[in-house]
Amino acid sequence: MALVKDSMGMGERRSTSQSLVSWTRLRPYAMISPAILVFCLFFIYPIGYMVYLSFHDWNFVSPTKEFIGTANFTYLLSNLEFREVIVNSFIYTFFTVFLTIGISLLLALWLNRGGAIYSFLQASIFSPHITSLVSVSMLWMWIMDADYGLLNWALNLIGIESIPWLTSPDYALTSLIMVAVWKGIGFNTLVFIAGLQSIPKDLYEAAELDHTPPWRRFLRITVPMLSPTLFFLTIIGIINSFQVFETINLMTEGGPINSTNTFVYYIYQYGFQFFKIGYASAAGVILLVILSVLTVIYFKVLSKKVHYR
Amino acid sequence: MKKLSFLLMMTVALFVLAACSGSGEEEGSAAANSVEASDEKIELTYWYAWGDKIGENNENLVKQFNESQDKIHVTAEFQGSYDELHAKTQAAFAAGNAPEVTQNEIASIGTFAKSGMTQDLTSFVEGDQEINMDDFNPGLMGNSYVDDKLYGLPYLRSTPILYMNTTMAEEVGLDLAGPQNWEEFQEYAEAFTNEEGRVGMSMAIDIWFYEAFIAQAGGSTMNEDSTEVTFNSEEGAAAYDLWRNMSKEGTLKLNSGTEAGEKARQDFVNGHAGMHFASTADLSYLLQLAEEQGFELNTYFMPSGKEAKVPTGGANLVMTSGLEEEKQQAAWEFIKFMTATEQTVYASEFTGYLPSRVSAAESEEMQALYEEKPQFKVAVDQLQNGNARPMAEEYPEIAKILVDEMTRGALDESIPTEDVLNAAAEKADALLK
Repeated sequence: MALVKDSMGMGERRSTSQSLVSWTRLRPYAMISPAILVFCLFFIYPIGYMVYLSFHDWNFVSPTKEFIGTANFTYLLSNLEFREVIVNSFIYTFFTVFLTIGISLLLALWLNRGGAIYSFLQASIFSPHITSLVSVSMLWMWIMDADYGLLNWALNLIGIESIPWLTSPDYALTSLIMVAVWKGIGFNTLVFIAGLQSIPKDLYEAAELDHTPPWRRFLRITVPMLSPTLFFLTIIGIINSFQVFETINLMTEGGPINSTNTFVYYIYQYGFQFFKIGYASAAGVILLVILSVLTVIYFKVLSKKVHYR
Repeated sequence: MKKLSFLLMMTVALFVLAACSGSGEEEGSAAANSVEASDEKIELTYWYAWGDKIGENNENLVKQFNESQDKIHVTAEFQGSYDELHAKTQAAFAAGNAPEVTQNEIASIGTFAKSGMTQDLTSFVEGDQEINMDDFNPGLMGNSYVDDKLYGLPYLRSTPILYMNTTMAEEVGLDLAGPQNWEEFQEYAEAFTNEEGRVGMSMAIDIWFYEAFIAQAGGSTMNEDSTEVTFNSEEGAAAYDLWRNMSKEGTLKLNSGTEAGEKARQDFVNGHAGMHFASTADLSYLLQLAEEQGFELNTYFMPSGKEAKVPTGGANLVMTSGLEEEKQQAAWEFIKFMTATEQTVYASEFTGYLPSRVSAAESEEMQALYEEKPQFKVAVDQLQNGNARPMAEEYPEIAKILVDEMTRGALDESIPTEDVLNAAAEKADALLK
């Protein structure tokens, strides 16, 4: 410090001001450099390494990685199983996000009022969100058991035949979507309620004075004012759904017959069960591309319709 | 507005990045925390699969080892099923903190050895006067050698056997001698089946059982060199048709899904099925469950087709590669202890696993046990029909393909058997090229 002070005192005014200017310029970068460093180390580097691996044939352990060009990608894209994985992922994501947001919005509209009973209901709906996914999976495996499960027992009571929820390729993906929606509603409802409460009351009062019918108030005031929340939840929902892993790993292991195999489980399966890291990385790269494209489209198209205050 | 959208974009980007990088790398740090006090001792970590009786057996044997000497301390850690154990071992090996000693399910010995994760044990055997390799049951050694080098010692080994609820068999007037061949197996299954939903047998569509049936039909799932699949053959079709026909008649319930094996066991224990295929390793546990449920059970050879054959199963003990010499010696001592005669007797009595040493099978304790509970002897006797399992590097993937296609065929009876097996063979061939 002393040295710096010294040189500042003795040096020409010009150079002092110059170094001051450059420090002013550099300071922001210096301040964020730790964050950038962490970001590069834990996010940029792994992604780069994944892309690198996707062009190689490697079993994770052997000292040599054989460069095979785009062979992993051509094999993936010609592989029927992988096509099923893509289709499953899109179906799962679409229905999970659509249903979660639809149901949550309705619940939020209903529960957005004072009173102990509504607070209690809000808390109850939120509770699945704070339960670990592993417990949730175990619970639903028991509920959805084809022979001894609660759900089929209830269906039998009202005269409906048992459904092989998790053991038939016709139902397994639907069952997983049900669990995801059940788990996701709580958080989404809470965020929607927060969004609803931030809408100024005077807008509704003005509308009421004009005798605007309720459905119109909903479409013209609630929806536009809620659009940032809607936008945020959709994006988060899409990304989370594409990454579904725990429930699939525990409840179906991608089966029966590949019917619930989605991206992350497929990557895990090839990387850690069949020891094909290059192949798994190539699938990871494709997931990255799909998610990036979806996100960009979403921002380009929908952000224009979002009303930020 | 711009600021907010930028913030969102960054958040989104973070999520995306986390998705792609975070999926696989959290596993396998368990080995790191095994370092404990007692400075002089060599610390080893040992990973094992399966809980209940089998898990207790592993923990007990490790405790015996730690108490038997004061130079080495072993920490045993449970890692789930064989698949989970293998996945975790591999991840830990790549991260440089693999356990010194672990189990390889016998069909995976080749995969681990060829990728360099496990240590060639040949020189340890040659340099050791104490160990008598001829004492290991020769029927169990088929999955120990890779390219003529020894990679694992037979530890908790098994064969599938037939369990029958004899209380129920008496009720329906069946001969307690059990079904000897496929025809009798079908007759027994029919006799057990009733209108209240009880079936002859509830069974997982499982590669190990299929290996048994295809071998009984005179075939195999892969050729001897493990270079091509051979299940799309007359023998393969005969084995699969037996299942399908029985399933169609309603005498055999084929389960699929992650809980298929557990479901089969529940059905048997709850009296919803008269018979059960399972590893001999489940014997102690099933005897206990049967007692709780108030029925008697007996064990039998798997029914034979043209031939009387069964695959062997279970796990061998292996040492991971790249250890310092001191640790290698310690690991070898541990492996030797775990597979010695006394411990083999203990494990076999405790779980029902095969006594993998001849001296153990002939020991007084085992003979006394066979006298008292003859159910334990069946698997040992059946071992004369034992086959090794295929050891191709791609076998785990091939098994998944085959089970998937067989599940498809089980759910949709209209697909011809040939098409089911050919579809699986076509996909498997693409892998082997």
